This record gives sequence, C-alpha cells and structure tokens, in this order.
Amino acid sequence: MENVVELKNVTKKFKGFSVENIDLQVKKGFVTGFIGANGAGKSTTIKMIMNLLKPDTGEIKIFGLDYQTHEKEIKERIGFVYDGNVFFEGLNLKDIKRIVAPAYKHWDDTLFEQFVDQFELPLNKAIKTFSKGMQMKASLAIALSHHAELIIMDEPTAGLDPIFRRELLNLLQEFMVDGNRTIFFSTHITTDLDRIADYIAFLQRGELVFNQSIHDVAENYALVKGRVELLDRDTEKAFVHIHRAPTGFEALTNNVNAVNNTFGNSVVIERASLEDIMYYMKGRESYV
Amino acid sequence: MFNLIRRDVILQKRLLLTFIPFIAFFIIMDSHPALIFLVASIFIPFNAYGYDEKAETNILLNSLPYTRREIIASRYLGAIIYMILAIGVTSLALFALDKSFTMTDIAIGGGLFLLFSAFTFPLFHIFKPGNITTVVLIGFILLAGVVPPIVMFFAEHLTAITDFIVNVPTTYLYWGAAAIILVAYTVSWGVTTTIYQRKAF
Amino acid sequence: MQIIIFNSSKEPIYEQITNQIKSSILAGELKEGDVIPSMRKLAKDLHISVITTKRAYEELEKAGFIYSIVGKGSFVAEQNLEMIREKKLKVIEEQLSMVIANSREIGLSTEELQQLLNILSEE
Repeated sequence: MENVVELKNVTKKFKGFSVENIDLQVKKGFVTGFIGANGAGKSTTIKMIMNLLKPDTGEIKIFGLDYQTHEKEIKERIGFVYDGNVFFEGLNLKDIKRIVAPAYKHWDDTLFEQFVDQFELPLNKAIKTFSKGMQMKASLAIALSHHAELIIMDEPTAGLDPIFRRELLNLLQEFMVDGNRTIFFSTHITTDLDRIADYIAFLQRGELVFNQSIHDVAENYALVKGRVELLDRDTEKAFVHIHRAPTGFEALTNNVNAVNNTFGNSVVIERASLEDIMYYMKGRESYV
Repeated sequence: MFNLIRRDVILQKRLLLTFIPFIAFFIIMDSHPALIFLVASIFIPFNAYGYDEKAETNILLNSLPYTRREIIASRYLGAIIYMILAIGVTSLALFALDKSFTMTDIAIGGGLFLLFSAFTFPLFHIFKPGNITTVVLIGFILLAGVVPPIVMFFAEHLTAITDFIVNVPTTYLYWGAAAIILVAYTVSWGVTTTIYQRKAF
Repeated sequence: MQIIIFNSSKEPIYEQITNQIKSSILAGELKEGDVIPSMRKLAKDLHISVITTKRAYEELEKAGFIYSIVGKGSFVAEQNLEMIREKKLKVIEEQLSMVIANSREIGLSTEELQQLLNILSEE
C-alpha cells in the first residue's frame, strides 16, 4: 500500500522536550487519526510534516518527495487546517482568498464559493469577528478549495460544538469518497475517530506507541477484569498496566490471545476504547 | 512570487489611504526632499514587516506552496518595487505642491532607504516577535540621530579622508556609493535567507 | 440496499455488514450482477470508516458473494450450489414456520402435521 507521508527515524530535540525516533507511515486513501495527550509531541510532528520545523535527524517524505528539492510540489498538494487562526485576522475572507488563491495552481473558485455558501460564511467580515467554529469552517473552505490530495489538520475539532463536529466529520467522509485522498489529523477527542479513522497513530511523550488499523487495535487491545489472586509475576506479563483494587483488578492488554491462553474463562475481557488505551498507557509510565 | 509582493497591498489597503496625508505632512513641514523620499519608501515595506512579525503569518506563508527563499526574495524585491512606486507618488505630490527637488534627492533618499533596509531586514528575523518594532524604532533613531554626528566628526577630524572624498569626482562618488549600497543589500539578502531557512515556526 | 448498524452490538461492524449483505443475497433481494455501492460510498452513508467497509467487502469476496472490477465497482456474484442450497433451506424454513403457525391456529399437533407431511411426500 502506498504511503503518502513517511517519517523514518525522525528525531527533534528541544530543551526539556523531544520527539524521538518516529517511524510513521500515513496510508494513501485512508484517514489516520493522530492521538496523544497534550504535550506528547503531536503538533511538533505535524509541524515537521509541514516543514515548519526541520528534524534534527531522520528523513521525511511526502508523496515520496522530500522538502529539499520539492517543497512547492508537495505543498501544492496539501490542504492544512491548524488549531488557531493563521490568517490575517484583520482581513475579511474575500481578501484572504485573494492572498491565498494565487499561491495554488489548482485553486478552484467555484468550489470555494460552494463551501462559503454551504458553511454560511460572510465574505466581508473580518476573520477576527468569527466564532471559533466559523474560523474553523473558513480554514476548511480554504484547505479544500485547491483539490488537495492530503489534508493535514492539527486539532480541528478542539473547541467546536458537537453539532459542527458531526458536520465536519460528514464533510471529511464526503471528501474521502474519492479514493486518492488522504487525511491525517490530530485530536484528543477520541470519539471523533470511532466514526471515520481507519488507522490510529498513538504518540506518547515523544514516542510513537503504535500505528495500527482500527481493527488491529480492537483485536490486540482489551480490558481484562478478574480476581486479584490470578495475578503473579508470570501472568502479569500479559498486561500493559494493571489497576488493583480490593474488589479485583482491571488491566489493559495488547495481546488478547495471550490473555485467553493464560486465564481462559477466569477473567472478563472487554473491548478497550481509545480512551482506555490512552489512560492505561499513561499509567504504565508512572508505574515503571 | 509576484503574489507574495502583491499581498502587501491587500494587507495594507486601509493603511495606504494614510499614505498621501503622511507624505503631505512632511512636504508641508518643508522637510528636505531626500528625507521625504526616504520616509515614503519606508512606509509599505516596514508596515509589512509589522504583519510578518506575527508567528501565524509565517506559519501561513510556509504552509502555502512557497519556499523560504521565495518568501525572503519577495521582501527584498518588494522593497525595491514599493520604493520606486513611493518615489513616483512622492514626486507627483511634490510637483503638485510646487516644491522643487532634484534627482540627487531621489538618489539619496532611495540610497538611504536601501541601506537602512539592508541593516534592519535581517534583524526582523533575529529578534523575537514583539521586539521587532522596538528594534526598528531604535534602528531608525540611530540612523537619523547618531550617523550624521559621526559623519560630521569624521569630516572635521579626519581631514585626510574628507579631503580624499572631496577630491574624488562626484560621479565616481555616486557610483561608489551605489556600489556599496548594492553590495550591502545583496549581502543582507543572503544573510536573511540563511537565517530564515533555519527558523522554526 | 438497506444496512442497519448497531453500534452497541458485540458483533464487529464489518461482520454486521457482511451478514446483512449475505442475507440480502440469500433472500434474493440482491441478485446476481446487481451493483452494490462502492466501499467508500457505503462508508460515507453508514458514517463508518472506509477500512471497515473494505474489510466487509473483502470477506464477502473471499466467501464468493461478491466480486469487484477495478474502476467499475462491486457486483453480486453468481451463487454456487452450496449457497443456493443454503438459500433454499432458508426459504423452506420460513415456509415451514408459516405452516407451523397456521397449524397452531387450528390446534393441529406436531405429530398430526408430520403425518400430513409424510402422506403428501409419498404422493
């Protein structure tokens, strides 16, 4: 399967914070959700993918091209949406379009007008008077109007109301009907992902914990509940992290088969949500 | 590239309305024509940097299909283009208000502008956003306040140099100054490009 | 094509899709050669991820219920004998349930019904 984004052994170090040895592939034609707690390095990774930051070591390829020689070709094919407004806030949407549109070879005015109508965006009001949701819609209208093949979004749903979040997901699904398109977006609202994500990349403290299809995640990870007596040094190996309570234990496993072999019917196995996985993974660190 | 230069006009649409009164003020105050040309030239490019000091602007420009080299080139080429336009408009304004000026005034005003740009443009990318306006202000005061006394000092005390300058034919002097300005501007362009390419947003 | 997804079901979503398409085929609602929606369109309509419909279609293809032609879409496949048998059995089951229900209404016992069946079969 073709990879649209490929990070090989990418490391970027800051004072007191770093993203290390990231190997990440984003598959063409699918939606990859990028999850992780605040400060895990999601924005840093996205900035490196956009060439706003350069990695200390490692290799980044977008559409199989690198930024040293193909920066314009790459960005021509990317639509971006960031958490905050990056457009000149004193300007109205019409003027912003006038600045952004000529940058792209494949800018489509008709398409843009269609989105402006659909999102009910005012063309003559300064962007700074827009609500968070409207700013987001404006960014999206701009990102989707030049026939981009890859949409990169940093926390697009943060601060949006549930209705607009749902509308946004519908719109993205519409976008994905064309199989040549790819979406990569970071979020910490994991319910957004249940609906549209095909792959989940999970970043924790600057390290990529996994990048798997949602089916692999569902088949490998599970919550296991049982009596505390069942746990010993050997059986504990099957778990990523264990919570003990007087009433019994609850643990996360990343190997459901091993748990089945070890415990059989003596434990209850439940589907683990992405939130469960993030929560227990975090626990693992303070535990070790 | 041209789009990057044109964006300054779109951004400063409203501000441009103040351009004419701004120049008129200097003309009515009977400032030296060279100074008027200098101030007029500075207007657009430095206002543009006011916008560019915001991190968001750099994130936007660098996410669009532009290279960092092009973004800087648009600044340096844009400064020249806007300088020429400003000189044109200022000349018309001077004509209209019946003030006399010479080609030398234009050359001095433009030359000083380019020199000033050459020194300040790299600074915009060295200092943190927010400090830049202060830096430019200090830079301008330094240029306007400190440089003339220094020149005077040299003129009075280092007669060997001043004698040399005075004895050089004026045309050579102008060509020499033009060459120095050209070199300074080009070097500044290169330095800024290098700084900008290493920046993180 | 009607598909209803139970989000709270224990059965994975891709299995719900395969099962429902299978029953539509077995029940004859979808016939050989019928076009079924592309997996991307189906994903959009059901508000689920593409990889889920992709998996469902892959399983259906493996089981011989559908086939895909690149650039043209997915179609209901010609059914093999075993599947037709399964399909017939399903129909028979349905008809028999109706017979049983009718018998109950007039108080016919299961034994009497079996006798009736034997007599009719010997004819």
